[in-house]
Amino acid sequence: MWKPGTDFTTMRCLTHLLLRRLLGLSPQCMPGGLSQSKGPILSPKQSSLRQSCNARPGLVTATDVVNYWQKVFETNGIPEARESSEYIVSFVLGAKTFQSLNSKSLRTPLTAVQQEQIQQLSNKRLERMPVQYVLGEWDFQDLTLKMRPPVFIPRPETEDLVSLVVEEESRKCEKNSSLCFPGPVPHPVILEIGCGSGAIALSLLCKMPQSRVIAVDKEKAAVDLTAENAHRLQLQERIHILHHDVSYSSAKQLLLWGPIDFIVSNPPYVFHEDMASLDAEILRYEDLDALDGGDDGMRVIKTILALAPSLLKDSGSVFLEVDPRHPDMVDKWLQAHPNLLLILHAIHKDFCGKPRFLHIQKQSR
Amino acid sequence: MSGVSTKASQSDGTGFIPEKLCPRFCMNVPSLFHFTFLLREVRTPSWRPWILRKQQFSLPRVPLLQAARKKNSLNLLGLTEAELEEQFVRGDGPGGQATNKTNNCVVLKHIPSGIVVKCHQTRSVEKNRKIAREILQEKVDLFYKGEDSDIFKEKKASEKKKQEKKRRAKENLERKKHFKEMQQLDKK
Repeated sequence: MWKPGTDFTTMRCLTHLLLRRLLGLSPQCMPGGLSQSKGPILSPKQSSLRQSCNARPGLVTATDVVNYWQKVFETNGIPEARESSEYIVSFVLGAKTFQSLNSKSLRTPLTAVQQEQIQQLSNKRLERMPVQYVLGEWDFQDLTLKMRPPVFIPRPETEDLVSLVVEEESRKCEKNSSLCFPGPVPHPVILEIGCGSGAIALSLLCKMPQSRVIAVDKEKAAVDLTAENAHRLQLQERIHILHHDVSYSSAKQLLLWGPIDFIVSNPPYVFHEDMASLDAEILRYEDLDALDGGDDGMRVIKTILALAPSLLKDSGSVFLEVDPRHPDMVDKWLQAHPNLLLILHAIHKDFCGKPRFLHIQKQSR
Repeated sequence: MSGVSTKASQSDGTGFIPEKLCPRFCMNVPSLFHFTFLLREVRTPSWRPWILRKQQFSLPRVPLLQAARKKNSLNLLGLTEAELEEQFVRGDGPGGQATNKTNNCVVLKHIPSGIVVKCHQTRSVEKNRKIAREILQEKVDLFYKGEDSDIFKEKKASEKKKQEKKRRAKENLERKKHFKEMQQLDKK
């Protein structure tokens, strides 16, 4: 609760602290110990922004603070200045987005504690840390997942990859029921290669309540984070998470639940030559192995496709997220390797209209 | 509903692009795009550009509208994807793994009426797309049907309920007050 009097003094002090920092003076208790040379660049005019924000000095609303940090980020060349500021402030106020806050929250003065929290988070953003790592969480479809560097942050495009798998499964079910196949409710077994934070695996488990997932990643950090997210969502009974590198380890362990219905992956698919031009947010904080697909971006894609026939049931499917240049390349590669008995069944676009998802089917003999 | 803003562009017909969106927007290719709005089936247009040999390009389906609380019983005009224009603040660039943009705002326009809905309610693009369609459908229904719209009727009904509640609460308060006054008189 914001109490006039005590907190007013605290806020004043805070502003003073902030002022010192903003003017490039040695920060006294800044986390991470930013040195003067690396500190954010702000003109003295900038530093008085906070005080001039509204009529009553010392009282700041959410909107004031968002505007303030937006300016700070802009001055320091931080991309998505407005968005970053909004997400941070919303998070501290317990909301997901700024626009989901009601008008009352927008007008309520922020407590000193809240302002301090915003400052701590914003400092991280000033170091080009991705917002998802700053907040330590992010949303993927209906799930809120913990995020932790350097585990790869799920991209919004990938939400559609999950939808494609769910639709294919329901299409298969419909087909089976129309053909009057008897038997119990199917328990689709899904293998995810490169699970990262667990976004795809856990989304699939939520959308397909009968499914089981085997999730693998070559990085222990990813395996741990997926496990943590699985536990938070109470999905640990239906998922097996393995620390496993598909490029080097035997695939036998992946058959612990028998032949697989779907292989899903968002494998590293960036062309090696494009890696250097990625944003600082990515290069400084994310695991580059989760991105670099080698010279043609196909290294891991090929590994997965080579592995697929021995793992998949007949007419099982592989769903991949890829670079827009890959559909043609994959098609050609599959035709050059007919022994794999895999065909490129469909190419799906992402929400920006780019060819992004491949549906590859195993042909029954 | 907080989190969404609307702009009807009847005045100039081009009042579509909000402030800082990049001019490039992504047209939906409605080929295999199914989006069932409540009671109405969406017609999928038959034309399909960009057919690459045997493969079909298709856009990801926006998840079917879940039967949301009250919406089940409402009879709203159906919207087809062909009538909609969707825009995302993604900027130019490769997208996918190569970028890590956090702006998940969806801007959805109903071309025939010019109604625009902007949704940044959640941190998920997919959810924002879905919510934008729900809101747009309500706005469009209101636009064409006016007072005949179920949305209008529902709003009126809830307003009436609210007023009724207020009136009753006021009555109760006055009754209590009166009772207390009577008690005071009795004591004397």
